[in-house]
Amino acid sequence: MTKVKICGLKEEQHVKAAERADAIGFVFAPSKRQVTIEQATELAKHIPVDTDKIGVFVNASLEEIEDAIARVPLTMVQLHGDEPDELVGAIQVPVIQAFSIRRKEDTDQLKKSIADYVLVDAPGTDYRGGSGKVFDWSLLDGADIDPSRLIVAGGLKPENVHAAITQTTPYMVDVSSGVETDGRKDTAKIQEFIKQVKDDSMEQTIEKVGFFGKYGGQFVPETLMKAVKELEDAYNEVKEDPEFQKEYHHYLSEYVGREQPLTFAQRMTESLGGPKIYLKREDLNHTGAHKVNNAIGQALLAMRMGKRKIVAETGAGQHGVATATICALFDLECVIFMGEEDIKRQQLNVFRMKLLGARVESVTKGSATLKDAVNEALRYWVSNVEDTHYLIGSALGPHPFPTMVRDFQSVIGDETKRQILEKEGRLPDAILACVGGGSNAIGMFYPFIKDKDVQLIGVEAAGQGVDTDRHAATLTKGTEGVLHGAMMKLLQDDAGQVQEAHSISAGLDYPGIGPEHAYLADIGRVEYRSITDKEALDAVISMSRLEGIIPALESAHAIAEAEKQAKTMTADQILVICVSGRGDKDMATYAEKLEGLS
Amino acid sequence: MKRLEQLKNSGNKAFVAYIMAGDGGLGRLKEQVQYLQGAGVTAIEIGIPFSDPVADGPTIEAAGNRALKHGVTLQKVLEEMKSWTFQVEIPLLIMTYLNPVLKFGVERFASECSKAGVSAVIIPDLPYEHKELVQPHTDKEGIKLIQLVTLTTTDVRLADILSGAEGFVYAVTVKGITGSRDEMSEDVKAFMRKVREKSPVPVYAGFGISKSSHVDMLRDDVDGFIVGSAIVEAFNDNRIQEIEPLINAVTATHSV
Repeated sequence: MTKVKICGLKEEQHVKAAERADAIGFVFAPSKRQVTIEQATELAKHIPVDTDKIGVFVNASLEEIEDAIARVPLTMVQLHGDEPDELVGAIQVPVIQAFSIRRKEDTDQLKKSIADYVLVDAPGTDYRGGSGKVFDWSLLDGADIDPSRLIVAGGLKPENVHAAITQTTPYMVDVSSGVETDGRKDTAKIQEFIKQVKDDSMEQTIEKVGFFGKYGGQFVPETLMKAVKELEDAYNEVKEDPEFQKEYHHYLSEYVGREQPLTFAQRMTESLGGPKIYLKREDLNHTGAHKVNNAIGQALLAMRMGKRKIVAETGAGQHGVATATICALFDLECVIFMGEEDIKRQQLNVFRMKLLGARVESVTKGSATLKDAVNEALRYWVSNVEDTHYLIGSALGPHPFPTMVRDFQSVIGDETKRQILEKEGRLPDAILACVGGGSNAIGMFYPFIKDKDVQLIGVEAAGQGVDTDRHAATLTKGTEGVLHGAMMKLLQDDAGQVQEAHSISAGLDYPGIGPEHAYLADIGRVEYRSITDKEALDAVISMSRLEGIIPALESAHAIAEAEKQAKTMTADQILVICVSGRGDKDMATYAEKLEGLS
Repeated sequence: MKRLEQLKNSGNKAFVAYIMAGDGGLGRLKEQVQYLQGAGVTAIEIGIPFSDPVADGPTIEAAGNRALKHGVTLQKVLEEMKSWTFQVEIPLLIMTYLNPVLKFGVERFASECSKAGVSAVIIPDLPYEHKELVQPHTDKEGIKLIQLVTLTTTDVRLADILSGAEGFVYAVTVKGITGSRDEMSEDVKAFMRKVREKSPVPVYAGFGISKSSHVDMLRDDVDGFIVGSAIVEAFNDNRIQEIEPLINAVTATHSV
């Protein structure tokens, strides 16, 4: 994890604000941030014992430096002048040598330095010791600097430190003017800077090993490990590749029809008498739901990996249809596993998949629903792993699937954020999305995770009620366990056997939940509630009649909860609902369940 | 498990039999173990049924579902084994997916296994990367955590896995799930040789071993064979005696 150093502290309150930092810097050289050894000694009393205390010097003598080390006491020394190697070598504590980097050639000095660490900064202006100008990090590309001795400084601030870490992966980042307001340190900025480094690093660590807190991982048979690792590498590569991103967004706009509107639901807003309600219209995507966002991304990735055979599972059939569609578009061989029960419930989608050229395999094992379709798809993948990509449809499965699916679905939240800022000039107060495995919800929520004032609400299927044994409310009722390659929350019995889930909505009928949702629930960032079959059906009617939008049964769960949530909100607030799909596929269910509707 | 080393050194091949605990009712487990022990198998893997056995083919999945219908759980299997009073002369192993172990409690799992006389455990969905979740607890009880290697295991991974291998190495002979097969692919031999060269412990071939011809083909390249689906099927069809020739084909002393 990248360490963080807050430099140039002069006041006790700022030292205390930097409590979570790994190092504090005291400037003993002439500067507006200069402190005396006496001042530093006083301030050092407020620094935690395991935090490094670093003295910053410019062309000081060894005696001056040793005096400061002994009296403050300092644990490290940072040199910003033209100190000779003899001096650097004579200092008994670890030494950081700072260099101003203007152009690529300057990076040679870094390699030659005999100091324990090298600090890179933009050229100073009025005095030596860093200017606060933004250092061009790309100068370090190809410079062959050992990242474990690299400290990056120069124009860092809370807003850009994440990018700096991503680009240079340094041992430590160093900030001074970036956490000041009008030339004086700013408590809030210090804390925000540390938070950005610490929290972002934590996120990077998580993604590296594929865990979100304790959830996630790669719990798959050894036969799949190679494929999972290859996928992880391939995904890491394309994530940063602008060409790949361009191609992905090209298909999203030219084929799927993005971007989708953020529709102001005027009549629904008036009817509920609470907040302004906006609908994110994933129902308008080609194939009728958000699933296609992910199918395109993964299919493009599969082709990059040289795989032209796709296997997928489907519950409601929306992911199966999206996958079959994309396979037709890219001329890929496509096998879809679907539970026998779901095939009965979603005959129209089964025919669509066949029409699109996919082979639909009926799964009769277990509960013959989504869970069992995933089992069969995994088995098929185990047996055909060399030439086949498993195009998983939700934010589930072994790493990197949950991260990758989230990223491909984040277009939902990214667009929503941009659109609401354009329309309202501010972020919404609450966002709701339905959760089965959790892909539309994580795609909608992820861009808002750090916006702590935005309340995020995931809505699970309560089926016939969470107190019955016929529901799919994994986070409300589930416990930790491993299924389909990841540690997550599961509906399971005392012996660890996974139980069948129940929901009127085939897309929410899954006994697990994506690992990132499990983590977000644990840390309290997202609140998860549940809606019964009946409440969802009622919301289908109200949405259809108020807005002329017939939602999918899955999305109706979010709408039903939004109706409740709206009652607790006021007219000056904003609520966004993710309408993840349209109701065409559910028309047979609606006709049956809502018979006699007038 | 020392016996497996001795067997390897003697040049004889091991025959590890897999059975699904509670297929046909938990009461049958004891007689099945006794039968196999009498028939001369080297060790027995006792499978714990799981609702979502993604590494298994239709035969073992069906057996697991039958066992689940009888209400078989990890706990009941261990209790049953603890109650046995007959002389168990061969190593007994538990093969289970990870989730039942997590639910049971990993530490408790290790100590109960120890009390039930279990020598080793195999957890097919616990890859090398995550073995720390279980191994510290099994280590404490002196129970081996058997590692699997497969045809898709890269050389780098193979070296890592083998360096920490204990008991024996379970070398998967197919790119796929468990189940009987007619053919053995040719590259399997080369793979087995590679694994055996590097492995500090005996290497047993498993997944898809159902015929004497499979045994003949791989005999010189492995230290033993694991047979699952064929035995599960034979027990279920009440024709287990038909497996005896296969056991004999493996365990018979061959002159080299």
